Amino acid sequence: MAAVFRAMAGYYFLVFMMRIAGRRPGKQMTPMEFILVFFSGGLTLTAMVADDRSLMNAFSQIATIALAHYILVVLRLRFPVVGRIVDGTPLVLLEKNKWRTAMMKAMQIQDDDVMAIARDQGLERLEQVEYAVLERNGQISIVPVEEK
Amino acid sequence: MATTSAPSQTKPVEDSIAKVNNEFAVGSDPEFQFRWERFESIVWAILIIFVLLSVAGVFGRGPAAKSRLQASDGSLQVEYERVQRFGAPSLVRITFPASSVQNGSLQLWVSESLIKALGAQRVIPQPAESKIDNQGILYTFPVTTGSGLVEFSTEPLSIGSSQIAFGVPGKANVQAKVFVLP
Repeated sequence: MAAVFRAMAGYYFLVFMMRIAGRRPGKQMTPMEFILVFFSGGLTLTAMVADDRSLMNAFSQIATIALAHYILVVLRLRFPVVGRIVDGTPLVLLEKNKWRTAMMKAMQIQDDDVMAIARDQGLERLEQVEYAVLERNGQISIVPVEEK
Repeated sequence: MATTSAPSQTKPVEDSIAKVNNEFAVGSDPEFQFRWERFESIVWAILIIFVLLSVAGVFGRGPAAKSRLQASDGSLQVEYERVQRFGAPSLVRITFPASSVQNGSLQLWVSESLIKALGAQRVIPQPAESKIDNQGILYTFPVTTGSGLVEFSTEPLSIGSSQIAFGVPGKANVQAKVFVLP
């Protein structure tokens, strides 16, 4: 019984900590952030498994985590506020040649992070970017200036 | 558990995503973001305090967790961690003066909560005798000369508060309160 609670607490605690510690996974993930994710996961695992290395413990904890995840997904779908808390909302970083500096600072994103994604889309200069948005999954979307 | 909808079920596209400059559907919520950032800064402050308290040992395994109690008649002294962690090893150290030794042996009574709640694993030195006595265990240790030390290795088995007691028969007891964190 305790293993189930440990697994559930571990999952929700990690979801919360990853949400607090920053939103730069995916393409923006640096080696530092890889360490954050894997180290946190590893440390949580130690307490979750404790001294029970049985297959039954592994099965019950995996099933618990799957269930905890499903509950979160359903709640996110049913209550938009849960979605905003868990995933955040898309954030505009650049808008019509103007940086939203407070947002950039809060999200710890620099102009060269945006330029890296713009280059990925074949753009050569930041002036060619109409909007840059930090998405909920941590990726940056670029909308280029429309050519007239 | 996922459900699939029938292909015939459709719904018209609604303009439900919040726009920036009335042209770009982003779905951002600046008000929520502002509140979230305030919440985040509070959480960071709590995390800093938590880590500092952890270093100090408020949650066990540090200077703040250690405690020392002495029997009112000086018959023994107990050093222990008042905050312990579930399943984490800890030590209870009992020192006694020469006056507690009688006929070449020391008798030490410990409450059964030391075994039940704190999960005493072993005792050093090996007692010559141990017997169940008055909701506890009475150990007898042979002593050649002077004062000495008895150590119990513990590994808490239950979460919450528990009271442990130690004493030399016929002398004052020491009561210690231990809190076990998950």
